[in-house]
This record gives sequence, C-alpha cells and structure tokens, in this order.
Amino acid sequence: MKSAALSAAVLVMGKGGVGKTTVAASLAVLGAETLGRAAFVEFGDGQAGRRALAGSHRNVEHIVIRPSEALQRGAVPLFGSSLLAKLALGNFAMRPLLAAAPAIRELAMLESVRQLVSERPGVRVVVDMPATGHSVAWLRVPRQGRDFLGSGPLFEMCDRIARELVAPGKASIVVVTLPERLVIEETVELCTAIANETGMQVDRIVVNRCHVSLPAAALAEARAIAEQRGVASVAARALVGVLTAREAASREGVASLQALHLENHTIWRIPLAPSDPSARRVASWLRAEGAR
Amino acid sequence: MNASRKGTHPARKTPTGPLVVVCAGGGGVGKTTTSAALALALARQGRSTLIVTIDPARRLAGAMGVPISDEVTQVALPETYGRLFALMPDPRRSLGTFIDDLFVDEPAAKAHLLENRLYVGLSDAAAGVHELVAMNLIASATARGQFEVVVIDTAPSRHAIDFVTYPSRLAALLGGRTVAWLSGIAERAADRQTSAGVLAWGAGRVESLLARVTGPNLVSDTASLFGDLARVRERFVSLTERAADLLLGPRTAYVLVVAPTAAARDDAVYLHKRLDKLGRKPRAIVMNRADSWAPEASLALRGMPNLPTSLLEAITILDAERSDRLEAAGAFAADLAIALPKLAIVKLPLVDAVAPDDVMAALAIAIAPHVATLLP
Repeated sequence: MKSAALSAAVLVMGKGGVGKTTVAASLAVLGAETLGRAAFVEFGDGQAGRRALAGSHRNVEHIVIRPSEALQRGAVPLFGSSLLAKLALGNFAMRPLLAAAPAIRELAMLESVRQLVSERPGVRVVVDMPATGHSVAWLRVPRQGRDFLGSGPLFEMCDRIARELVAPGKASIVVVTLPERLVIEETVELCTAIANETGMQVDRIVVNRCHVSLPAAALAEARAIAEQRGVASVAARALVGVLTAREAASREGVASLQALHLENHTIWRIPLAPSDPSARRVASWLRAEGAR
Repeated sequence: MNASRKGTHPARKTPTGPLVVVCAGGGGVGKTTTSAALALALARQGRSTLIVTIDPARRLAGAMGVPISDEVTQVALPETYGRLFALMPDPRRSLGTFIDDLFVDEPAAKAHLLENRLYVGLSDAAAGVHELVAMNLIASATARGQFEVVVIDTAPSRHAIDFVTYPSRLAALLGGRTVAWLSGIAERAADRQTSAGVLAWGAGRVESLLARVTGPNLVSDTASLFGDLARVRERFVSLTERAADLLLGPRTAYVLVVAPTAAARDDAVYLHKRLDKLGRKPRAIVMNRADSWAPEASLALRGMPNLPTSLLEAITILDAERSDRLEAAGAFAADLAIALPKLAIVKLPLVDAVAPDDVMAALAIAIAPHVATLLP
C-alpha cells in the first residue's frame, strides 16, 4: 500500500484552514503532468479552486459542483428522465424537504463525483472534500442508505457509489494536516473514523506548513547570553522564548508524526510559505517528496 | 414567516442582559484562541465574563481546566484577575439534549421518534442543532444575570451563523404543506401494511414516483419523522426565537477573525455578506499572525560583538520570517480595506509558544488595548 500509485479518484480531506484546497489542486496539477489530464472538483462557489489553480497546467479541468446542480444531476438516473426529475424536485412538498435534509444533498454530490469519474477514464479526478467531521459523515451516507433502503433505484444509487467510488482501490484518500499537536490529534481521529466507518484506508498524509529548522546550537548560545548582564540579555531572553517554543513544537510535531507512521502511512511534507502558495508551487514541493 | 429573518431584523426587546461578542471566521485562523484571549482580557479588566466555545477542542478545554459539558464552569485564575467562566458544550451530545428539550411535553412522540430508523441514521447530520442547543444553554446561563460579557466562539466555518436562519426554515417546513402531505402518506401507509399497498397509495403522480424511486421505507419513515416533529412545532419555534434574541439583539456585536490568507479573506467577506442580510454589521476585524518576533531584540543581538554564527543564522531566519509576515499582513489589510471598507482592523502577533494557556495569556495582553473597539 505504501508505494501504490494514487487511484483514479482522489478524495482530499482535513479540517478547515489546513490548506486542503491548495493541496488538492496541486495533486491535480501533478496528475495532469503524469497522466496528461486531470480534473479538480470543488463544492461551493469555485473561488478557492480558481485562485489555487491560477497559472497552472492547462490540462487541469476545474469542476465546481453546486448543491442544486448536484441534485438535478443525481436525480436524473433515479427518475429515468430529466423531465420527471425536474417534476419531482420542483414539487411544492419536495423543495423545503430537500432544503432541510442534509443527507440527500451529500448523496447527490457523491453521485455527481461518481459520474464525473466514470465519464473520464484514465483521468485523475481530485476532489476537495468539505472540512473534517462532516466529510466522514458524507462517506458513510452511501453504505447507510444501502443498508436502510433494501431495494429500489435510490438503493441502487447508494450501492453504485459504495462499490464504484467509496471503496478501497476505487478512490485514494489523502488527509491534509499541520505539524501541531492538536491538529495531528484530530488527524489521527479522522484516520481511525475513516477506517472504522467507511471501510477505506487513508493512503497519504500531507503535513502542510512545516517550519524551517533553526540551527541546533542557537538555543544554548542564546541561553548563555541571557544569563550575562547587559542590554543583550533582555533581547536574548526573548530569543530563548522563541527558540524554546520552536524546539518544543518541532519535537511535538515529530512525536505526533511518529504516531501516524506507526499506522504505516506515507507522509509528504510541505514547507511553510509566507503567503498563499500556488498549486503549481505546492506540486513542485510534493514532487520532491516523491508524489506523482 | 421566515421572510422576517431576511432584510433588517426587527430590533429585539430587552436592552438588559450581558453584552455579547460573537467571533466568527473560517477554519485555521486562530479564532478559538483569540476568543479565549478576549474573554481573559475582559476578565482581567474586572468584568465577569463567560466564554462559550461552540466547537471545543479538548486541548484548549484542558488548558483552561474546563470540562466539555453543558455546565458553566469557573476558570481558575490568579486572584488579581476578574472572574472568567467557560461553557463548552459537547457537539456529540447536543441532539439528545435538544430532543429532550423539544419533546418535554410529548413523551410518546419522542419515543416514536427515537425508534425511527431515519432519525437513528441521520442524527449526526442534523446541521444547526448543536448551535441551537448552545444558544439555549447560553440563554439559560445568562438569565441568572451573573455575566457582564459573553464571548461566543462560533464553529470554524463561513456557514457558522447560517443556523440563525436554518431552524426558522425547518420551523416553516414543519408548519407547512409538506408535513401535511407527508403525514397523509404515513397514515395511508399505516392503513395498508404490505409493500404492494404502499405502491398503490399514489394519489398524486409525484407521490407514487417518489415511492417507486426510494422504496417504501424512506417515504414512510420520513413522513413519520416529520409527523413527530410537527407535534412540537411551537416549542421548536420558541427555542429558535430564544437563540435569535441572543444573536440578533441590540447588545450583540460581531467580530470577524482572520489570518493573512486569501481563504480567510473570502470567508470574512462571505460572513460580512451573511451578517448584512441579517441587518448586522461587524464591529471590527481581528487579524491574527500579523506580526512576530520582536524587532528590537533582533537589533540588540545584532549589535553584539562576536555574535556566534548559529545565533546570527537563527536571527536572520526569524527576521526574514517577520518581514515576510509583515508584508503579507500589510497587503492583506490593504486588500481587506477595499473589500470591507470602514471596518476597524485589530492586528495581533503570532505567539511563539506551545502551551495553549501561554498563547492565550500573551494574546490577552496584545488584545487588551482594543477591547473597547470590539465590544457592542
């Protein structure tokens, strides 16, 4: 599993603010370089993806899925025709029901992804999944629906998604995290939840925003100056504070990462950038880590 | 009825009660720590303050010595500080709490609901319920009148305040034709127990179409779920209004928390738009990570004779990081000033510390001079 290539569909997960969208876009850029073509799928308004992909490989297709379009798209095979689907979705009673029932939208979005992947053989399709807790719930929906419904076209849709998309070997799961204890702890929880609740395994972990390491001897030297008298000692104490925190953070990051290593995951690291890096830039860092 | 939520929300009554500061922002901007730091700064100024974390991180709760529970706990502070209280409700328990509260007078309907397979399967997808529960816990806690200020740290999402309208949408749904229609289906399904009968109820085209697509289970379970909820509609509406009173009242202010990234800017602009629809304007933007390690310390050390090379190297790296950070923060502030004009920006530094309470304490010192800007 460690060296296996990414599947045709790549689901990128992680909590908000860790740089998930940029990493997902960069995996699409890498896919386009390796396979010739790739698609980047985003839920919402498409703003984040457009920004990350600016100036990227022209063979990366940017697909934005809006909830209403997904419902329409997912409903067509259910009802047999787009006219009947429209009739059902436009029904006075259905509209407020759909607005209030989250699982239906999630199922429709997953079905849209499944369709997108099956329409694009040989193309890497990278999906920027919604933030953490929520996205595990997403991946559970097809199995739950299948067990619950028992028969009928909706059952078949759930079954199709569970077999063709949310299944080992069909999609790779990449989790993005930060080198901070709290975030890593949540990542470990997420990996466990994915394994227990969806039957899938996390294929890669991307640790974003890794600090540049500072010279090892600097802390002891700063401490020595801090103990002397004079103006420099105050300044040195401030530096000791920063260096101690950095050292503790890096020690902690290493320990937390080791916890992840125990589960035999491949880990890719991305350095800390002062401002938002482009997908292209991140792709070059990931390539240096062995990503393709 | 949900039209009243749009546009300018009618000014709520009762100008008494605590001041409320709602901190909103996207993920990863340091919102939870900033909110806690603001609450600590307020407590240090002698105001009795309650910090509410909607999506509590265990580590922060641990650092403050506060359990994740539905109870308000006093945070242990040195005596010279004021009084700080914390409320960190567990998101995983809130649906149960909510259902207990909702069905307090309808035990039979509650038992029926809990057996519904749909409820069991979808219980963790019930968006907005946790926030609603948290708001009602706050309303109960503040009714006792011991807090001067309440700081609410919302969930890390641009949709964090959408729940203000979500429950009213659900309430509208429960009172509308949909439930009547679904209840009709449920009754007819109960009359004819076989699945052949279920397919035969198709009084209308959509109804039979739906039954064909979803199978009999989903339609009848959905119908019975909404039937149970419709029984407690009034109670539901009163719970949502209590939350709206707290969030949209005249003594409530919104603060947008950002970090200098494009994603955080987009989230802030989006939240600003959502607030505008609710007839609210944020008091200020708090920008985290806008500065870092002290420039005067760098100067003093660089002035030393025989500075060891590894120290010089470390200082050079930190100085470069700081100048990158200042540049990014400056460009970001200029950008924000265009997107959201006339909004005060409070800049806070990145704190190089590992323990959450150390970070919180340092940020509380940095935020203290700006407290008046952030309060309603």
